[in-house]
Amino acid sequence: MSVQLYPGRIFALGMLMSLTALIILYMELSKKTLPEFRKLAGLDALPEMMGRAAEMNRPVHFTTGLGELTGTVAPQLVAGLAVLGHVSELAARVGVKLVYTVYQAQVIPLATELMRQAYVKEGKADAFKPEEQIVYMSGEQFAYASAVQGFAERERPAANIMIGPFYAESMLFAETFFRIGAIQLAGTARGYQIPFFAVVCDYLLIAEEIYAAGAYLSKDPIQVGSIRGQDIGKIIALVLMLAGVITTAAGMTVIADLLKM
Amino acid sequence: MMRLVRRQIPIGVVIVTSVIVMSDYFFKITGTGPLVTMLTNWGIILTAFTLGFGAINLFYLHTRHIRRRTSGQWFFSIWLLLMVVVFAGTGILTGATSSTYTWLYNSSYFALSATVYSSLGFYMTSGIYRSLRARNIEALLLLITGTIAVMRNAPALAVAAPILIDMDKWLSEFVVTSAQRGIMIGAALGAIALGIRTLTGRETGFLGRLTEAEREG
Repeated sequence: MSVQLYPGRIFALGMLMSLTALIILYMELSKKTLPEFRKLAGLDALPEMMGRAAEMNRPVHFTTGLGELTGTVAPQLVAGLAVLGHVSELAARVGVKLVYTVYQAQVIPLATELMRQAYVKEGKADAFKPEEQIVYMSGEQFAYASAVQGFAERERPAANIMIGPFYAESMLFAETFFRIGAIQLAGTARGYQIPFFAVVCDYLLIAEEIYAAGAYLSKDPIQVGSIRGQDIGKIIALVLMLAGVITTAAGMTVIADLLKM
Repeated sequence: MMRLVRRQIPIGVVIVTSVIVMSDYFFKITGTGPLVTMLTNWGIILTAFTLGFGAINLFYLHTRHIRRRTSGQWFFSIWLLLMVVVFAGTGILTGATSSTYTWLYNSSYFALSATVYSSLGFYMTSGIYRSLRARNIEALLLLITGTIAVMRNAPALAVAAPILIDMDKWLSEFVVTSAQRGIMIGAALGAIALGIRTLTGRETGFLGRLTEAEREG
């Protein structure tokens, strides 16, 4: 058996290994001292959103957008599911009906198990009705968008939570739920959709914040430690960028050549 | 036993498959090609299999709406189920690439999809109308840049004041691009951190939250 490194991916592998080492290091360090975590208003507002829904006796809508388990957007879906687990616990606790509208059928078994566990944990296993709460709409983008809009108009949820990859349907969702008076939390790592959510939604999680959501909500020191490792990675990226700008301006190609390795 | 089935086995599967697929991206290892192809094919088969879940979910939900005569919904449910049967029947009998199926798709879903997409313009307009109010410094900046972009894209105004083209170009190439790249780098690092947490078995949010006992180890 021969093992050969692909040319052009050496630097990427080096960076990945360095980041992995850093993140694991900070995860270990956080066992001793819990790092401070910047407040994420959107995630802190989740109990308030559930309370509002309970007072109004209306459901809460959750979507992970056009997320799928295979492909480049899978991490965003996983991040969304982590929030779904937490929201399910809150919904079970206050007795609010949480409806998760599904775009990809492959998510149904995962979401069913995730939500069931949350209800069991809260001692409300009987309150969980998967056939009513996990609703497969469509695997086609605009059919799904129309179905969610129809759901919003008919059921008039008190809150709308959207975490995952969103495309053109982002504005359709945000505006429709705004019009029916739902309080909204949106989060996506798709750069082109962030501005739409920013202007319409009450709370917003920008890009990396959705990946940190699971760690933030779990309050698990080890998970929180990994976020610090990630921040160090950001500093390395900044240093590389600055070095790239300076060396390129000086007519050197050292950083560009390094990145191409 | 329950913990093993619900947590450790799924996490173990995630770790093994992730390491194999990731190694295949960075290394050329003789003999792993078919393994990665097999894993990818498993993914495709599982995805296709779960479509059955979707169909059952859809039928269950909508037959209940029809049975209960849910206000404002039941007649849509009948139409939806009818269309599912028509599309599935045509696809099975004539094939998904046949001219009949293509005609059916283009004449119904494609046209409706384009209609929904074009309605986006109205949603964007109402969203922009509300957001372009100078309530604070950030909103003021949004108002200024938004106004420049709108004016630049109005042909008559762009011809009358060509400086708008330069201003818009500068905003797009420097301000917007640099901000987008910052977001992209942050998102990529976030995804890597999430991947590492998953690989080390610490991120189990997608399997359900950790209980205190599980957190302790």
